[in-house]
Parts: sequence; structure tokens; C-alpha cells
Amino acid sequence: MSTLFPTRETTADPRTDADWTGRRAFETNLRALVGRAYPRVRGMGREPSWVFFEILLPFLGTSAFVLVYRALQAPEAYVGFVVLGGAMSAFWLNVVWMMAGQLYWEKSQGNLELYFAAPMSLMAVLLGMAVGGLIMSGTRALAILLISTAIFGVQFHLTDWALAIPVFLLTMAALYGLGMMLASLFLLWGREAFHLTNLAIEPVYFISGLNFPVARLGALGAVAIATVPLAVGLDAMRQLAFPGMQGLEGTPPPQTEALILTAMTVVFLVASQRLIRTIERMARSRGSLSIRWQ
Amino acid sequence: MTADVTATLPPAISVAGLRRVYPVKPKPVTALDGIDLEVAPGEFFGLLGPNGAGKTTLIKILTTLLLPSAGKASIFGFDVATEAAKIRRIMNMVAGGEQSGYGILTVREQLWMFSQFYGLGSREGWRRVDELLDAVGLGDQRLQRVSTLSTGQRQKMNMARGLLNDPWILFLDEPTLGLDVSAARAVREMVLAWKGAVPGRTVLLTTHYMAEADELCERIAIVDHGKILAIGTPAELKRRVQRESVLRLEVNRLDGGPAVLAKLPGVVSAALAADNVEAGTEAQRVAVNLVLRDDNALTGVMAALGAAGSRVLGLRTSEPTLEDVFVELVGRGFADEADAEAANAGADHDHSHPTEDAER
Amino acid sequence: MTTPMTTPMTEPVYHPAFDGNGFDPARAEGAGLADTRRHMWTAVRLGWQVESNWTDPLLFFIYTVAKPVASLLLLVFMVQIVGGTGAAGEAVRTFVVLGSALWAMLMAGIAGPAWSVLDDRERYRMLKYLYVSPATFLLVLVGRGVSKLAVGAMGTVIALLFAVVVLGLRVDLAAVNWPMLVLTLLLGLPPILALGIGLAAICLQTRQESWSYPEAFAGALFLVSGVVFPLSILPAPVQVIGLINPVTWWVAGVRGAILPTGASSIGGASSLWTTLTGTQVPDGAMTIAVLLLTGAVSTLAATALFRVSERRARERGLLDLTTGS
Repeated sequence: MSTLFPTRETTADPRTDADWTGRRAFETNLRALVGRAYPRVRGMGREPSWVFFEILLPFLGTSAFVLVYRALQAPEAYVGFVVLGGAMSAFWLNVVWMMAGQLYWEKSQGNLELYFAAPMSLMAVLLGMAVGGLIMSGTRALAILLISTAIFGVQFHLTDWALAIPVFLLTMAALYGLGMMLASLFLLWGREAFHLTNLAIEPVYFISGLNFPVARLGALGAVAIATVPLAVGLDAMRQLAFPGMQGLEGTPPPQTEALILTAMTVVFLVASQRLIRTIERMARSRGSLSIRWQ
Repeated sequence: MTADVTATLPPAISVAGLRRVYPVKPKPVTALDGIDLEVAPGEFFGLLGPNGAGKTTLIKILTTLLLPSAGKASIFGFDVATEAAKIRRIMNMVAGGEQSGYGILTVREQLWMFSQFYGLGSREGWRRVDELLDAVGLGDQRLQRVSTLSTGQRQKMNMARGLLNDPWILFLDEPTLGLDVSAARAVREMVLAWKGAVPGRTVLLTTHYMAEADELCERIAIVDHGKILAIGTPAELKRRVQRESVLRLEVNRLDGGPAVLAKLPGVVSAALAADNVEAGTEAQRVAVNLVLRDDNALTGVMAALGAAGSRVLGLRTSEPTLEDVFVELVGRGFADEADAEAANAGADHDHSHPTEDAER
Repeated sequence: MTTPMTTPMTEPVYHPAFDGNGFDPARAEGAGLADTRRHMWTAVRLGWQVESNWTDPLLFFIYTVAKPVASLLLLVFMVQIVGGTGAAGEAVRTFVVLGSALWAMLMAGIAGPAWSVLDDRERYRMLKYLYVSPATFLLVLVGRGVSKLAVGAMGTVIALLFAVVVLGLRVDLAAVNWPMLVLTLLLGLPPILALGIGLAAICLQTRQESWSYPEAFAGALFLVSGVVFPLSILPAPVQVIGLINPVTWWVAGVRGAILPTGASSIGGASSLWTTLTGTQVPDGAMTIAVLLLTGAVSTLAATALFRVSERRARERGLLDLTTGS
């Protein structure tokens, strides 16, 4: 055996090498998840401009809304609503910009066919993108939250940590589950999908009540609570962080919203898994997986 | 693993009646039109064909990226349509000009990421990446950002990626595309060294470079319009087109010029070689390209030269190259296709037994 | 009959399309202003095609309508919720609606050139070809920005119509200072595009995920442009940034032209402007003069920044780079 090309241990038969246990397949998917999250986490430290554009500027953007309330002499808790909304918008922007259009970008880059040809599930890749994105935007959200809290003197009255933590995690699961579903959908829709990401910012901010309690939107707010993870997650966290605050009435209690988030997570994950299967089937039968096809 | 064990394995590639039609507008494109092929474990197999011949389509089907429209294909006995997951565990692929990965990562990180997709342990992944980077000669660039690599370095990195999971079968789609002479040679040597290290490792290569196929491949299939026109070892393929004897004859003088020789029995053609000097006059050396129906006709030629007082200064046979084979087969293939369309026959033409044709 | 063993020599093929007049050194010189005009126009047209042809008109309509209207509603609801009723509330609402509607146009102008860089580099891989074409790269980006601005202007008009029809915004057309409106709108275009070019210069250096940068930048600009609240609310050092920012003067000028009796975002009691100048609010002439001055400075600064970025991109080979993570 040549030392030039070291080999890892293989059996004497490709048929045995191809016969993986369920555990090995699962471990590979887990490793693939970590592998795909890796460039996102590494990328954070590679471009210092990230701190400016993804922490400082969004903080200033959030500050603008805080000052609108200050100019209107609104109750101080409203400032807290804006700050929480500003922090949560970091996750939403990440879902929209770095999840939804990502598979389409991977395809144009030539990565997608390598993903398909590798022995892991594409769901692992999507989850990896989500975890990597979550770490990126989590950093940003935390920074916005801390800076804003310090500068604007926001007071959170979080007492029910046992509920707050699962609600936050479920919100993330639902948000990134939606991102995974959108990534598959956008791959099917192609280039137009990129423009849809633009559409998913301000309108979603509005119906989610990014800067005000979503209950104030009436029926529209109720629809948002039932369908948009940002709306329901944000409302649940506001209820937990500012208990008893005026304006927060009219939406389901955080426990119910946690259930809604759980249902959303399940629906989005199942839908994205189905869509991935559809995409693979379509790609393999139509030959639409890559640009080169002759 | 021994060669005996290799002999007990199912074919590395087995393809029967494979067809692939792309449902594109305005009319569907038939990329593969009934391919039959078998590649043995441990074989270095080449696919040659013009652009659009169906080579990449065949590779995509074999690498489980594309389903056949009809027919069967399997890799080491695993069906490409129904057992894709198993095939993906034992194969890998590298294409020329591949830009995969993420520019933000270093070479080492990029490969490690891919190693995770193949299920290597984290530490095992780093170790294997380092070993492979040394093996492909990218040790010095391991900490460089992927986006800063030259084309040749990038392709070496792609090769390392293709070997990460130590595949049993490696698909190489024009792996030296756009590389300079030394980078292309480095890639070829790398593939040969890797393949030679363990019996049973199989390579399927597509390329436009005839010399590359000649140097690397144990067997070659020439493909065009989705069909295999010819298949065999490079030597066998060359012999197919060597139905006539081709000779280069050099004499001190040739009164009457090559036309004298062309009239002799068994001589198909006689023409002054392109590199000749002042033909037929006071020249010290006249070179003539002779095409003879068979070698027996040479006796008559020698006798005629002796009678005319010409002294033979040199005589050698011309060997066909793979390019000659390619041009002959593919050229004929195009002509046959045109005939077939004109006749609206629709039936398969047998391209593999060329006869004298009208274009010559 | 040809010898079968050798590759046939390819005969040169004649085609009338290959005819030319040989090398004309004048072509390398270009045609000066005519070239510039043509390149600019081509860039505008290209931008327009990219912006408007990507899908069906319905989606285009949604794209142009939904974003600005949603931004508007986001702010209007904030005002409404904290009891913005009565005459004072009405005034605040009008102030916010006008600022927010204008933002659609500004946002488009800022994002246009930056997204062109990212689109052409990462998505279409065309940036290097665009760059080496005889067209001036900067002009091409400006052209793309202009077409984006046109789309954004539609968004502004639609948002204003929405505000009038649905939110009951009252604008007395007879009272509108039309010459001032047209003049400020036009004078605002160069600095808006300059900001876009400045961002494009930054995106030339950054990675694929920079798509959200224009959004983030515009969000921060929102803070210091007097769009939805007067500058006087800000701490004095931040007010300085507001006063040297041409967008502040553009928004104030347009708002002042549409509602001559409405509140101004510049000046007022305890504002830096009043402290510095002793006047309550700047008048129309002053607004235009400062807009002109700050616009010129920002245009020059953006051009300089772009040149530096361009040189750095060439030095580091960033023009044909695709990044991503």
C-alpha cells in the first residue's frame, strides 16, 4: 500500500463498506450538521465588518424606534418591547437572508450536488445551516439586547425562567424550521425567491408587532399568532419579560403560545423533510440539480 | 485485499440499456440512447466523446444524482435508482473547474467540513485532511483561504476532497479541465498513485484530452449522441482504424512523382508528404505517404522503385493515435446520424463496425 | 481521398460576422461623453429589466407596495398605540407618514448599487465581465441605482396614496410648494445614490452575507435623519451627524414642501440647530443650500471611497471572488 495515499481502514469488500448500521448513519448526519454549521461560525470571526453591520447598525436601527416612543412620551415598557423586538429581528433576518435563499445559492455554487452525492441527509445540512445561523444571530441578538438594555435602561421582569427558556428555544426551533422549509421552497421556485425574501421583512415585522404588542392588530394579530413564529414567539416572550403590562392582553397565555410554537416546529420540520424528498426526486428525475447536465 | 478477492466482487459499474431523456423545450433531448457497459473492479475506465455526447449524464446517473429514463445501472451491485444511499458511502466524484465549498474557509477547514459529510470523526477528519493535503502537494497552502487558490491548487484541493472518504469508485469528470501541463500531470499522477495503492479501487474518467485517456485508461469507450461507438483498450481501438497499412517512404529520387506508385496494384493512395522539399526534381530525398490495402502490396512497390532506379532511404509505418480513432468514429457517427434522420429510420445504427464510407 | 490516420486539417471558415475594419486606435480612446451617456443609459435599462422582469406583474406590485406600506404601518401603529389622537397626534402621524413614505425611495436608492455588486459577483458571476467592459463601472452602478430609485419612488407614491386613502392623511394640494418639492426631490437624488455607491464600495470588500447590510445601514440612518422624530431628541453629538447628513435635509425639504405649516425635524427649542444659528427652523432656501452642500460633499466622499475600494479589490483580487459560509 502506498504511503502517498494513506487510507483509512476499509474492509475487503465494498458491499460491506456500504452496509452501515443505523447508528453510523445517524452519527454521520450529526457530524454533517456540525460540518455545515462550521463555516458560519468560522465566518463570524473572519470578517470584522460583521460586528459593525450586524451589531452596531441594527442597534442604531432599534434605537430609532426607541426614540420614536420617547418622542411620543410612551410608557417606558414600550421601549422594552422595541428592544426585545430588535433582538428578535436578528433571528428573523438570519432566517430570511441566510436560510431561505441558501439552498438556491448552494445549487448555483455547485455545492448542492456534492451534498446529494454524500452519504448524509440533506436535512442534516439544513439543520447545520440553521445551527450555524442561530449561533451567528444569537450573538447579535444578545449584543443588541445587552447594549440597548444598558443604554436605554430597560427593565425586564422575567420571573418564570422555567417557561421562558423553553419558549425561547421553541421560538428558535419554529423560526429555523420555517427557514428550512423556505430554503426547500425557494430552491423549487428559483431566482424569484430571492425577491420574496425582501418581501418577508417589513410586512412580517408589521404583522408580528415587532415594535408594538401584536394584540393591537386585532384579527390580523390573531392570524399572525397562529401562523408566524416571530409573532407568537415575540408575544410569548414579551408576556414573560413584562408581566402584567398593558397592551399585552388579548393574546393567548405563554403556555398556549408554547404549544402553538411546538406545533409550528413540527409542521415546518415535517414539511421541510417532505420538500427535501420532493426536491431530490424531482432533481433526479428532471436533472435540475445542477447547471451542467450534458 | 488480494487480486483474488477483487475477482469475486460484482462489477464496479454495470450498465444495461441505459437511456436518459431530458424533458426540455422545445423538444426533449436524448442524452443517453441505450448504453451497455461493464467496468471491472480495479479498472481505470475512460469515456471519450465530444461535447454533449452524454458523458456527464452517464456520470450523474452513476453517482446517483440523476435517474435513468430506462434501463439499469449499478455500482458494485447496488442499483443506482433504489440503493443510492449505499452507493454514496463508497463513491466520490470530482469535476474539472469545480468551485464548490465556501470561500470564507481555509483549505484545511473546507476539507474538514466535507470530511464530516462523509461521517469521519472530527479528529480523524483533521488527520486525514492533513495527510491528503500533503499527498496532493497542498501542504503549504493548508491555511490559505480557498478563495485565494490558483486553478491548479483548487483542483488539487478538489481531488483531496474526492479522496476524503477513501472511495471504492472515483468518478472524474474532466478533472484536468483548464489546468496547465504540470498541474494536469500532477493530477494524473495523483490519481494513478491513489488507485494503485489498493486493489479494487476503480476510476471512471471522462476527458477531452486523448493523450490523457491513452496514458491513464485501461479501457476506453467512445461515446457520441448518447451511444457507445466503440469500446476497448487504447491499443484495440487504434487497431480498429488501422485497416490499411500506412507507410512513410523516403527515396533519393522518384521520377514521375507519386502518381507512378499510386497506379500499382494494392496501393490505395500515394502522396508527397507535407514536409517534402522541392518535389520530384533534383532533391536528394523525397518523402511519400503510402496507403496500402495490405502489407503484401509493398513487394510490388519495392520492385517498381528498383526498376525506376530509386534508392530507398527509409521506410516506416505510421501509428494511429486515439485522436485518429476519435475523429474517425465520431465523424462517422455524425454522418450516420444525419443519414438516419434523413431516412427517418429511427432505428439504432451500429457505429461500432465502421466500413469504407462516402466521406473519404 | 484523405489519409485516414491523420487528423484532417480544419479549413478556415468564412463568416461575414467576422469581418471588421481592423484595429482602430480610436476605439481605445472611446467617444467621451457620448460613451458615458450610452453606458449610463444601458445600466439604467439593465437595472430596470432586472428589477421589473424577474417575475409576473402581480409579484412586482406586491414587492413595490407591500414593503413601503408595511414600513409605514409599523410606525403608524406605534404612534396610534401610545395615544396619538387629537390634533397633536394627527400632526405627529402626518410627520411620521411622510418620513416613512420617503424612506421607501431612499432605501431603494441605497440598496440598489450594493445589491448590484453582490448580485453580479455572487449570483450571476458577471462582475468581472462588467468591470472589464468599456463601460465605467461606477456609472454602471449609478445606473442600476437610478432604476432602483425609480422603483422605490413608485413605492413612495403608493405608500402616500395608501396614507391618504386608508389612513386619512390630509394633504392640501393647493398649499404644496411645488417648485420646492421638485427641487428638493431632484437635489436629493445624487446624495442618495452616493450613499448607495458608498455601500457598494463596502460590499465590494465584504462577503456574500452582506445582503442585509443596506437594510442595516438604512436602519441606522433612520436614527439620524429626522425621518420619524425631530433631531432635537438626540444627544447633541448625534445631532451633529444628523445635520451633516444630506438625507436629513432632503427629508426636511420634501416634508416642508408638502406641508409648509407642518413641524420640521430640524431645529426647535433646545436643538443644536437653534443653539448654533439662533433660528427656530431653517427656511426653504437654507434647506436647499445645505442639501446642496452636504450632497456635494457626500457625493465626492462616496466617489473617493469607491475608488479606494475599487483599487483594493483589484489589488486583492476580490472582483471575481465568491464567498459564502
